[in-house]
Amino acid sequence: MFRPQRWAVLVAALSAGWNGRGAAQTGSGPGRDDGQWTMPAKDFASTRYSALAQLTTGNAQRLRPVWSFSTGVLGGHEGQPLVVNHTMYVVTPYPNVVYAFDLTKEGYPLKWKYRPNVNSAAIGIACCDVVNRGAFYADGRIYYNLLDGHTVALDAASGREIWKTKVADLNIGETTPMAPLVVKDRVIVGNSGGEFGVRGWVKGLDAETGKIIWTGYNVGPDADLLVKPGSFRSFRASGTQLSLNSWPKEAWKLGGAPVWGWLSYDPKLDLVYYGTGNPAPYNAEQRPGDNRWATSVMARDPDDGSLRWAYQFTPADNWDYDATQEMILTDLPVKGKVRQTLVHFDKNGFVYTFDRGTGELLAADAYVPVNWARGVDLRTGRPEVDSTKLTGVSRGTVKDICPTLEGGKNQQPAAFSPVTRLFYVPTNNMCMDYTTANVSYIAGTPYIGAAIPYKPGAGGHLGAFIAFDVTKGKKIWEVKEPYPVWSGALATRGGLAFYGTLDGWFKAVDGRTGAVLYKFKVGSGVVGNPISFLGPDGKQYVAVYAGIGGDWLLLSGDVRSDDPTDVRPPASFMPDIARHTSQGGIVWIFGL
Amino acid sequence: MDLWPVTIMRRTALLISCLVIHLGASDAAQAQRSAPPPVRSDQHVEAGGQPPPAGTLRNPFQGDQQAAEDGGKLFSAFNCDGCHAGGAAGAVGPSLADGRWRYGGTDGEIYHSIFYGRPRGMPAWGGTLPPEAIWRLVSYLKSIEPAKDTSATVTW
Repeated sequence: MFRPQRWAVLVAALSAGWNGRGAAQTGSGPGRDDGQWTMPAKDFASTRYSALAQLTTGNAQRLRPVWSFSTGVLGGHEGQPLVVNHTMYVVTPYPNVVYAFDLTKEGYPLKWKYRPNVNSAAIGIACCDVVNRGAFYADGRIYYNLLDGHTVALDAASGREIWKTKVADLNIGETTPMAPLVVKDRVIVGNSGGEFGVRGWVKGLDAETGKIIWTGYNVGPDADLLVKPGSFRSFRASGTQLSLNSWPKEAWKLGGAPVWGWLSYDPKLDLVYYGTGNPAPYNAEQRPGDNRWATSVMARDPDDGSLRWAYQFTPADNWDYDATQEMILTDLPVKGKVRQTLVHFDKNGFVYTFDRGTGELLAADAYVPVNWARGVDLRTGRPEVDSTKLTGVSRGTVKDICPTLEGGKNQQPAAFSPVTRLFYVPTNNMCMDYTTANVSYIAGTPYIGAAIPYKPGAGGHLGAFIAFDVTKGKKIWEVKEPYPVWSGALATRGGLAFYGTLDGWFKAVDGRTGAVLYKFKVGSGVVGNPISFLGPDGKQYVAVYAGIGGDWLLLSGDVRSDDPTDVRPPASFMPDIARHTSQGGIVWIFGL
Repeated sequence: MDLWPVTIMRRTALLISCLVIHLGASDAAQAQRSAPPPVRSDQHVEAGGQPPPAGTLRNPFQGDQQAAEDGGKLFSAFNCDGCHAGGAAGAVGPSLADGRWRYGGTDGEIYHSIFYGRPRGMPAWGGTLPPEAIWRLVSYLKSIEPAKDTSATVTW
């Protein structure tokens, strides 16, 4: 909720330290860090880079856990804590409890906790476990979403509820696990439900009151998309009704394109960026056409929501390749010239570089093994699809498509270090067989129509943590992991990268070589994202959630521990994950 | 309690293709009861939090293999497999193939779970599916043989 006229005050507060109420809003660049972590990805650019440098490749071996806390919740602990004004804020999966810990006192006792009354029916509407991807701090308030379609603002000092707004409707399959983005006076949120035939949107709420100011749909008529005459461009498609005309009849009304991932913001261009999810249903033959703007990146004006540019990664998506992964805003050299770039590692296995002002596609390279397309034609902006990998009811079972619908990566966000100029990317290494069926829409039930078993990709390992040089389109190193790497990445100025594994290790690696410098078994598989902050003692710490879940509650078989009446056989492609982990949310802090 | 079998018998004439039914006059009578059915004192712990026992409901398709097969098709047609997975092995919704039941595993109890829904995300299908479709679903679920992987002990 920072307002432009406050900039001068904010900058002054930052240079003087970080005790000011609004001082947390600017994020950081290389070499400058306020020691806090006020928003999901550290900064508006979504770099997940901490400029703190006390922890280094020279001392990381001496890391140790200094504190832990059981959240008492077993769902998948995606997302990350925040640290603001010597307070750590933790949001749990459903039932979406918020804990505020006082970091100035021994043992970090609670200052307050907030226990909302969340509708338990949401458990059955969330496609893939009851995750929450975190909160956003701005101007003395904590903003976050409840799973049952509400956005909440809390007083960060007391936990008092300031407002609570219903933004989504469970009865049509909508839930809200994503983390809001707060810019200027707007709290921007989106809906989930690509597996339930929702129609994807983002809404801009008034940060002060919670009132919904605008709603921008991702599919349908221009007016609903907030396409305003003269303000919208698609770099290669021209004309009007670009979304509407890419769907049969009224299929867009159940067309998916939800917003369950991460949002970024460029204050200079005043544009918010986010990706949209899969078109519904999975059976592409029920929705012939490109299905714009599902599986796309969208750029909107935060004030009125107007759509400025859009690009579709996977036209006529045949493989559930959501594009909701983070948009990382950095300025990279392209063909010898530094551009204002947006970098996106898509589920479909390609990493894309755009000019984030115009939406021009500058580069696209595979960052994991890909066989559904031979590449991306930069001239047309379209993937060169291998037609033998197209799916649909008439095609029966289509075998050996890489990557799977879990993506080259999924929700797990990458990090970018301006020091090494590398992206640190958690990845999956799996392929799939794809069988679709015709499916009927029944409101509030899954609208999928597919059976899609997975198998390990080349090499047999199911995941890897990689360092990728986007300017060269090249992987620099990788740490192979037996299971998909479902945690986010953290990069620090001390030359380190951090991540967690599905079998419950938290690891620190050398950002230049990938050498593992430290690891610790955190009690449950990691699907959350590490952060770094300065404690009241002036020392650098790293925090992360343990707590397996998300897609891996569904897919891995018997890791459930909260229900004696739900016993599942292990998944054929990962038969022994339950040997290494069960459910259970724990917040960990590491330090020297 | 005793009103339910009567209500259901009246509805057996409905075809599966006729999906939308509305609660009739007998339900008003049900609503006018002054107290719910009693809970037996020797079972009051196990009954905690459960709706009234449904043991008096009778599955008209008991042992009917064709009904179970039809139920398998309905399980897919009504997107049950979207949550409970193919073969009811469990995904976001619990496994219904492990021989264990959160809300009871008699035919009548499973009927209740489908008809009224359950509080952690199971929708109520009583207003959408006619009773015989629900009974076919029950028959299908009861026909699934638990996989050996769902036994109490797992060793590596």
